[in-house]
Amino acid sequence: MALSKEELKAAILDKAINAPKPQLYVKDFYACDPDSKPRAVKNAANELVKEGKMSFWSSGSTTMYAAKGRAKDEENR
Amino acid sequence: MPKHDTPMIDELESGPWPSFVTDLKRQAEKSPQCWDILGKMELSFRDRITHWKHGGIVGVFGYGGGIVGRYSDVPEQYPGVAHFHTVRLNQPSSKFYTTEKLRQVCDLWEKRGSGMTNMHGSTGDLVLLGTTTDQLEPLFYDLTHDLNWDLGGSGSNLRTPSCCLGKARCEYSCIDTQALCHHLTMHYQDEIHRPAFPYKFKFKFSGCPNDCVAAIARSDFAVIGTWRDDIRIDQSQVKGYLNGDYAPNAGAHSGRDWGKFDIEKEVLDLCPTGCMRMNGEELQIDNSNCTRCMHCINVMPRALRPGLEQGATICVGAKAPILDGAQFATMTIPFLKVDPDNEFEEVVEVIEKIWDWWMEVGKNRERVGETIMRIGLPTFLKVMEVDVLPQHIKEPRSNPYVFWGEDEVEGGWDRSVVEFRKRHAQ
Repeated sequence: MALSKEELKAAILDKAINAPKPQLYVKDFYACDPDSKPRAVKNAANELVKEGKMSFWSSGSTTMYAAKGRAKDEENR
Repeated sequence: MPKHDTPMIDELESGPWPSFVTDLKRQAEKSPQCWDILGKMELSFRDRITHWKHGGIVGVFGYGGGIVGRYSDVPEQYPGVAHFHTVRLNQPSSKFYTTEKLRQVCDLWEKRGSGMTNMHGSTGDLVLLGTTTDQLEPLFYDLTHDLNWDLGGSGSNLRTPSCCLGKARCEYSCIDTQALCHHLTMHYQDEIHRPAFPYKFKFKFSGCPNDCVAAIARSDFAVIGTWRDDIRIDQSQVKGYLNGDYAPNAGAHSGRDWGKFDIEKEVLDLCPTGCMRMNGEELQIDNSNCTRCMHCINVMPRALRPGLEQGATICVGAKAPILDGAQFATMTIPFLKVDPDNEFEEVVEVIEKIWDWWMEVGKNRERVGETIMRIGLPTFLKVMEVDVLPQHIKEPRSNPYVFWGEDEVEGGWDRSVVEFRKRHAQ
């Protein structure tokens, strides 16, 4: 059975914080709950960005997600 | 900011064409950071490497697209372009806007950015080039509150949908491209503003097979207007062309004398399927063999018009040459109803089927056309619940369109090859 929205968000955030790579593609979060639809996973990840717990990193052509503070921040390097 | 010595960049002004270098120099009088763009470009020419770094975390609150972060790797040398972010604005359908609105955008950009623009970017957006991070939120506020204008798509989002002039200006248009483009832009706001996919996804809408927005070459999802009954023929107007009463191609090639109009040479012999012929003075078309190339209609627009039963062909999977080379979109659905009265329900249904499949099986940074190529067109057609047609086949002798399912084969896929070979020699 698919995780509830809050459970899914917690699993995504946990992965974003603990994954060896600081920046992840949305597909990398699918494994957080194989029973959830890709659309539900992306909605949960986007909600975490809205809440300020994660951030987007974009090259212009691709977008990745990172836990707050883990994304490559050119401004503060 | 000082003017830099730029001998190589200055060379670009010497050709016969208008030069962006001249434009930049003119803009530099108002926005001195443009001197730094020229200086940094000169450095890149000299070093033969870009001095822009790749991407960033910049954006406006709540949005995951529309702003492209750009940073310089030589900020001390060229401080004016240390941050030089790009902003994409969602263009109106068919790019109809008033000069007043354009002036407002330009004034706002001079206030909040470099004043440099690129109209239009390849996806159609109005591209505003060069601003700093602290100006992004104020710019977004002014843009949305004062100008009633929104950002476009970037990153792994649905990119800003784009369409041809459609029925507003063109008699060939078989679908209302502007209505469709506007409707889908509003319907998919979340997908435009926040990342949703393994990679970018582009919609483009052309009213007829002339495909003026090059949807078949540039979009993951191309909707191209077409008809499924017969080309309408006005035989009296065909005679008009034969008698030289009207200029062929609506006079588009009238710059020199091409001689008398020759329907055999200029129309019939150029039909890719050879489905037209003259029977005396009567033009006949075998419509079942017409591939909608539009050539005859373009040459004799007074005499020939698209049929009346109109809709669209859906082609999927075009892309530019980043990985396997450029590819055209594959014709997937030959004819689909495009009906504004039911909010384009049929089109939306097709889009969502593609997305559901691609989000599941597409790899990171893989366009849907590459996914189709990797997994195979037969699987994609099965997902789309489309019966395979001869037109889906690229090479009929090496690329069959009859595929057996496991349940249709005795023993399924697990049969013993050893047992099989006992009865059938290799």
